[in-house]
Amino acid sequence: MKTVATILGRVILLLLVWWAFTEGDVSGLGFGLVIAILVAAVSMRLYPRGAARIRPVQLWLFVLFFLGRSVVAGIDVARRVLSPSLPVDPGYFTVHLTLPEGSPRWLLANALSLMPGTLSVSLDGPRLELHCLDTQSSVEEDVRAAEQKVARVFGLPLPDETCHSEGAR
Amino acid sequence: MAFVQVVQGILLVTGCLFFAIGTLGLFRFSDTLLRIHALTKVDNLGLGFIILALVLNAASLAIGVKVLLIWVVALAASATSAHLIARAARLQQGDDSEPKGSHD
Repeated sequence: MKTVATILGRVILLLLVWWAFTEGDVSGLGFGLVIAILVAAVSMRLYPRGAARIRPVQLWLFVLFFLGRSVVAGIDVARRVLSPSLPVDPGYFTVHLTLPEGSPRWLLANALSLMPGTLSVSLDGPRLELHCLDTQSSVEEDVRAAEQKVARVFGLPLPDETCHSEGAR
Repeated sequence: MAFVQVVQGILLVTGCLFFAIGTLGLFRFSDTLLRIHALTKVDNLGLGFIILALVLNAASLAIGVKVLLIWVVALAASATSAHLIARAARLQQGDDSEPKGSHD
């Protein structure tokens, strides 16, 4: 029953995308419905229903947080590029994620690439290697804040503060 | 109407400026990874401004959603490709050659 609900949810979501693609044209709706059902069927194989459910309200909060941070990131890099002395202090930094495997980790790694000062280099199990623009800045706190937001999106218990991390090399 | 057009103009110019700065970063930074920082973050912001300007002018809700969808997909693509290039650059660097400027 839950699987049916998931498929139905995905079909509706895909139909919305189709509606946007065709710019609200109703004549292509029948074709779109067929495509949406086929894609939903394929998506159930590729991305089966996970244990973690997405919380809509938390997702919107995350989107707002992400938008704010990515604007800061863009301005931050632009400022560094335009500054004559090119103030960067690059280096690698490794964090151990407490998020479970799969979508939560991927969402965090990709979001961090667009947030100020960090770029995900490699994700190997719970070990996420970041490249930092400025190793003097508070990378660790930024990552933990983003991690908590991602955990809330998936309705996961918040990562505890005691988890260890190490500055890489 | 004129007010909307002025706002749109400002947003478009700001967006193009950010794209230009992102490209400037490509020339000013010496390291592959630093260049990716400049390209992904600054260009993402530039695209954001341009999308915002276009949404103001959208003829219908569906077109507005479509334009926003373009931004979301471009964001996902840019984050993913940035990650892949960064990983390739890191692997090429090798673990023995210590990257310049890294400490801790």
